[in-house]
Amino acid sequence: MSTESKEVMVEVRRVTKTFDKFTAVSDVSLEIRAGEFITLLGPSGCGKTTLLRMISGFETPTEGQIFIAGQDVTHDPPYRRDANQVFQSYALFPHMTVKENIGFGLRMKKVPKNEAQERVRDAIAMVSLGGMEERKPSQLSGGQRQRVALARAIVCRPKVLLLDEPLSALDAKLRHSMQVELKHLQQKLGITFVFVTHDQEEALTMSDRIAVINKGKIEQLGDAGAIYHQPKTTFVANFIGQANILEGEVVSRAGRKVTIRLEGGPDVTLMADDLPDDAKTAMISVRPEKILIRKEREESDNVFEAEIAEEIFKGATDQLMLKTPGGLELWAVVANESARQATVHKGDKVFCHLHFDDIVVVQGT
Amino acid sequence: MNRRLFGLIFLLGIVFGCKDKPAPTAASASPGPSGSGAPTAEKPKPGKELNLFAWSEYVPQEVVDGFSKETGIKVNYETYASNEEMLSKLLAGGTNYDLIQPSEYVIEALVKQKKLAPIDWSLVPNFKNIDPKLKGLPHDPENKFSVPWMTGTVGIVVNTDKIKDPIKGYKDVFQKKYKGRIVSLNDSREMVAWALEASGLKSNDITTENLAKVKPMLAEWVKLVKVFDSDSPKTAFLNGDVDIGVVWSGEAALLYQNNKKFAYILPEEGAHLFIDSLAIPDSAPNKVGAMMFMDYILKPEVSKLISEKFPYTNPNLEARKLLTPEQLANPASYPPAGERETFRDIGKISSEVDKLVTDLKASN
Amino acid sequence: MTPTAGLPDTQGAQRAPGLRGWLLMAPLLAWLGAFVVAPTLIMLVYSFCDRDELGQVVFTFSWSNYARVFDPTYLKILLKSVYYAAITTAICLVVGYPVAYWVGRAPERVRNKLLALIMIPFWTSFLIRTYAWMTILKSEGPLNSLLLYLGMISTPLDILYTPTAVVIGLVYSYLPFMILPIYGSVEKLDNALVEAAFDLGAGPVRAFSNVIAPLTRPGIVAGVMLVFIPAIGMFAITDLMGGARVPMIGNVIQNQFGQARDWPFGAALGMTVLLLFAATFWLTTKKDPSAT
Repeated sequence: MSTESKEVMVEVRRVTKTFDKFTAVSDVSLEIRAGEFITLLGPSGCGKTTLLRMISGFETPTEGQIFIAGQDVTHDPPYRRDANQVFQSYALFPHMTVKENIGFGLRMKKVPKNEAQERVRDAIAMVSLGGMEERKPSQLSGGQRQRVALARAIVCRPKVLLLDEPLSALDAKLRHSMQVELKHLQQKLGITFVFVTHDQEEALTMSDRIAVINKGKIEQLGDAGAIYHQPKTTFVANFIGQANILEGEVVSRAGRKVTIRLEGGPDVTLMADDLPDDAKTAMISVRPEKILIRKEREESDNVFEAEIAEEIFKGATDQLMLKTPGGLELWAVVANESARQATVHKGDKVFCHLHFDDIVVVQGT
Repeated sequence: MNRRLFGLIFLLGIVFGCKDKPAPTAASASPGPSGSGAPTAEKPKPGKELNLFAWSEYVPQEVVDGFSKETGIKVNYETYASNEEMLSKLLAGGTNYDLIQPSEYVIEALVKQKKLAPIDWSLVPNFKNIDPKLKGLPHDPENKFSVPWMTGTVGIVVNTDKIKDPIKGYKDVFQKKYKGRIVSLNDSREMVAWALEASGLKSNDITTENLAKVKPMLAEWVKLVKVFDSDSPKTAFLNGDVDIGVVWSGEAALLYQNNKKFAYILPEEGAHLFIDSLAIPDSAPNKVGAMMFMDYILKPEVSKLISEKFPYTNPNLEARKLLTPEQLANPASYPPAGERETFRDIGKISSEVDKLVTDLKASN
Repeated sequence: MTPTAGLPDTQGAQRAPGLRGWLLMAPLLAWLGAFVVAPTLIMLVYSFCDRDELGQVVFTFSWSNYARVFDPTYLKILLKSVYYAAITTAICLVVGYPVAYWVGRAPERVRNKLLALIMIPFWTSFLIRTYAWMTILKSEGPLNSLLLYLGMISTPLDILYTPTAVVIGLVYSYLPFMILPIYGSVEKLDNALVEAAFDLGAGPVRAFSNVIAPLTRPGIVAGVMLVFIPAIGMFAITDLMGGARVPMIGNVIQNQFGQARDWPFGAALGMTVLLLFAATFWLTTKKDPSAT
């Protein structure tokens, strides 16, 4: 669970950044809480790295302000900010040993030698790099270098730690273990982490909150669960996990309950908070794994029939393409629980079940 | 290992190859065919190319071109800025020069070392045009090896617009009040000669004792000089960087032609005469061509061209008849007559001379 | 940007070249052998010889030439040459490093144009450039005229034919040799390293001394070598811009092969200077093997 507090550690206030004619970040406002692990998630070129660099101080906002611990640092250079960055390429100083690399920030702050030595030792222990002190970066593996970069930043005890896709160069297995380690580290140290990645799984694993960024704007901000189960836009729905994005006519409304007739498909009923009263059409998102598939009809908020048009074996799961009598196509995912249990196959006629909560209204294209 | 062996062999080859060049026979022309009836006195044929090695600023291009046009011989004109440079390159081998243009003391040394080929005067009939006073001089007493090109003196040039005091000799030039406004030839032998003359000694009397005697005076002189230039000392005058100096008479003559404010004065302590002559090295491949060139430049109208460009003292009396009164009135070109010494060969002591002046320059 | 960017490559350079490597190098080796190694060996042989009356080389064996090298006159000149070379190198470094850094970090499309601007004067003849400077600096030249016109001086500055002019000439001639190697090092410098230094609290000055300078050291060393060593032997600039007033070791050597007609002594001086170069080179590369 996140060690949340109400204190705001970093505030991004109406920040815009343009390069020549290109707008990288557009009127973004964000409050980052002390001690939280927040991820800036988005595809390449969406502006997340630019936003991070403005917090670090490597870019200056064209408009807007940045505050760290209440202080306006918008025009402060990086060496005057109480923030440290872990670079994507690690940027370890090749001519210094691991120990010297890690101790660099302390030397710059003129921390007394004894204290510095102790802190460096602690940092090395924290990232499990004992024994590597005298090595040079060229003598380390990718994972080890990553830890040095991390240690170098945390030893300075910054108010906020900024991480720019630090795990992208590692292989999958190492990545997964580092994700867990990083999360534990953050919880232990209690430092505010601002993490940038394009990998939605990574974001979901580690973050207290996620800011999904697209084309320079924050499309949705919330904790992992909210982002996943209640995406607000088609972009968010598509970017995180998989989604069926379907359009339909609004047929009836009763308070929060709305019934929509899907194109070529059945009517579905859901609870909608954000649908304008006068909306005639709506777009909805349904996660594939939420569609309950049974050979027999069962009790549920929404039930409709479909035929299994495609079956894709994915190891732990089966991906199925469903086709309703009206021609609507949907994707569903079922777990392969046992090799022996009777499962559904291509060509079968099945019943699909959906609860109200499993259908969400989304904006966007 | 292979490379080192190769290098060593290469080196030895060069070193021993350069030591002695076998002297080719004189008159490399083809002799007349034997047994062809009545033997005709055939004029020896010259080679197709002539390698001329002469001072820079001394041989007009029209003279070279004119010779090529008349004889069909291609002339390769290479230059040097000092006798010693010429000597070094000549003795090093490499290009086989057909004609060199040494000053008198160098001819003396070359004759001693038997490095010059005697001239066949039948091929150089125009030699009769040369001033008899310039024949039979110490460096070539029997007139066997050289044809005078130009003679001149080394003397004082004064910008009379800037300097109004009377200047009569070296001591007047090298005064503290002219510090930084003086140009001197960049020639250690010359400077030592001036110091010797200013001290009442003979300019050829170069011994270790005499060098020590003139050292203090030279030391003072060196401190006062702004520029040392043997190539083109007139430039410093024309740029306004100096007002007085000791230079070649030809440079002085050009300055006088440019503006009569540049007066030329022969130092009263003593001035020496230099004679630059054409001579043929022993190793010349085209001796006949060389002699043809000598005869060519002895023609009065050709010699006149040389005087026009480089107004030194023309040794060719017939050519002088063709010069304008203005040219003859140039005090640098035709100074008042007088007994003047020429430089003699001094041999090994030239290193001491060089060292002395280098040392004095470096102590500044 | 890979994680290995910015780290020195220690792997590939250690293997010895195979047959193909030797064949490719053969023309260069032959050239070096004929025009560098052989002449140097000839000079070595001459340095132990003597001269005759006419100035030709006499093949004997004697140390007398080397003894003369240590004569105070020549030692003084050698030291002076080293001194001028050192000043030139220092000025070139101070002037050249910022230029090289600025060009190295300029956006790519501008970089090549800037490099061309630095290189183009280089394509004109060295002698012409030197004469151009003489024209600029002389009493009636454009520099003095401009300063007089602006009223900044009342009499023309006496620059030409002084040591100042010599240093100007030397710096101008050798500046590209300093800029280009440093530029090479700067270009390879990963910008992220500079950012990391800033991020960790180093201001521009300390980022330079702790990170940028050590990592561009190969370029600096190369630049220093390329300026210092040739500058010691330079003689044309002292003759032209210095009015031949202050002899450098290059002038002395030139004289031995010219006016003084003492080739063996000139060879001995040359060998001494060569040894000086070798010592400098060895000292510098010993301290940092990765600089070669």
